[in-house]
Amino acid sequence: MTIAAEEEMPGAKRRSSLIRSPQFSSLIILIVLLAVFAIADANFLSPLNISNMMAFLPELGIIALGMTLLLTAGEFDLSVGAVFGLAPVVVMLLVQNGEAGIGVALLAGLLLCVAIGAINGLIVTKIGISSFLVTLSMLLVVRGAALYITQGFPLKSWDQPGFFVTLLAGSFYVGSFRLYTSLWWFVGLSLLAVYILRYAKLGNWISAIGSNRNAAVARGVPADAVKIWLFILTSVLAGLAGMISAFRISAASPVAGTGYELEVIAMVVVGGTALTGGRGTILGTIVGALMLRAIRNGIVLIGVPGLAYNIFVGVIILAMLILHALLQKNAARS
Amino acid sequence: MAQEVLRLQNLQKSFGSVRALKNASFALNEGEVVALLGDNGAGKSTLIKAISGVFPVDRGEIYVRGQKVSIRSTRDAMDLGIETIHQDTSLAPDLSIARNLFLGREPVNFKWLGVFAPLDRAKLRDAASTLLKRVGISKKLDADALVSTLSGGERQSIAISRAMQFAAKVIILDEPTNNLGVEETHGVLRFVKEVRAAGHSVLLITHNIHHVFQVADRIIVMRRGEIVAEQTVADTDLLTVESIITGADMSALLKETRAK
Repeated sequence: MTIAAEEEMPGAKRRSSLIRSPQFSSLIILIVLLAVFAIADANFLSPLNISNMMAFLPELGIIALGMTLLLTAGEFDLSVGAVFGLAPVVVMLLVQNGEAGIGVALLAGLLLCVAIGAINGLIVTKIGISSFLVTLSMLLVVRGAALYITQGFPLKSWDQPGFFVTLLAGSFYVGSFRLYTSLWWFVGLSLLAVYILRYAKLGNWISAIGSNRNAAVARGVPADAVKIWLFILTSVLAGLAGMISAFRISAASPVAGTGYELEVIAMVVVGGTALTGGRGTILGTIVGALMLRAIRNGIVLIGVPGLAYNIFVGVIILAMLILHALLQKNAARS
Repeated sequence: MAQEVLRLQNLQKSFGSVRALKNASFALNEGEVVALLGDNGAGKSTLIKAISGVFPVDRGEIYVRGQKVSIRSTRDAMDLGIETIHQDTSLAPDLSIARNLFLGREPVNFKWLGVFAPLDRAKLRDAASTLLKRVGISKKLDADALVSTLSGGERQSIAISRAMQFAAKVIILDEPTNNLGVEETHGVLRFVKEVRAAGHSVLLITHNIHHVFQVADRIIVMRRGEIVAEQTVADTDLLTVESIITGADMSALLKETRAK
């Protein structure tokens, strides 16, 4: 469970609450899934394949961290996939037109994400339109902007070695595993998110706002400000993930990140965060991100035809959600 | 005569052309339970929202212990010692009892970190169990239990104890017995008496006149944005109050009230 379950309790009670926690059932599903893929194809657990998965994992995982906090506070952001596409495109255009150095361009890209998040947050909280509708519209605006300013063509990304490339998309070997610096970003940001949600005063506010906004407001919690900052955070993380991705593959495409918003929400929800707010778990989200990554990777390895790919992903996510719900129900009964 | 804690003078509030609060004045004394009665739309909610800082009044003054104050936000009201408890909106069900008790006033370490400061968990839990013990509900409840696992009456008790804990001068209870069973209702009413015994003043908003006669010292009746009657419980009876609320035979009663 969320927060209360984490506080010290006598052994037996603590164990039972651990088993009942949504992260736990997600973890079991993940282990089963990994086992199935490993048995189906021996290459699944090869260093090369694991390195591959670890290269992709942070890009959606980083967005999922922000989305977890936002969902816990009771709001959605459907514009993350579009922001993932637009941010690196803007950075590269600035650089290629000679208007800015790479450092300044990256900063400008992130500031754009801040602005997008702030607009989302302000409209949702101050005008009171549901975040579903606001961010859906923002998705169209942002994606449209990315297509228009590039005229639909992908841009060559910054590929000259240097500080920023190393910072965002450098790679190194640990044994026979090739790991990208983005993994450190993911690990660092995950720790920060765990800290905020579970240990900090802010996390208490976020959960309270999602659980019962009026109660939080009545206790003097600045609910609107918290939500606006979470929208900004989610946008910035989406932009950062987009830049990492663009640097890694040396191309910034205006259609990059299409459909990521739903995949990210799936990761978060599969991990055990409540879609209705109030209950969020970063550990669950990490498990969820690993799970979706493993599915995408595993079904390609076991030879599902390319065009049938999404059918399988959808069916497996649905099956996992059902399994998840059943496990939860059982745990609650026992 | 006990010391006056809260005084409202000529409060007025309009929403567009609707005058929700026309001219409300009354005072609340220390250690007193005052019931605020009235039909739907009488202006009860507007009045308590004005006192608890949900919105500002158009005109009129509020005094706390003789000092004129301005209440612009719920935070202002809380800082002045006015705590409001609504039936369904007081607690966050997904948080533990301890976290709910300190919501918005969390004890933290490294205060300079602002909203990023870590909660002082030991202090949080200790203070919560001390509080639950003091109000006599610790036997049943664990400070780490989620509020969603509690019954309606238990939630109400938690909300009221939270108000007591911050040494609130005035505790406003908005329909505290709504949706509660008979047993639970008695529990909450008993709790209100304890709150009074501890020296807090209570403003009780309710539809149930029977409850009023069990716990209140004084009754204030509102109709159409005005206070139409103010009586001590000892000087009146159920039927009289009921007729004032509905407006039947008002003139005679008003005269009676004014004569006092």
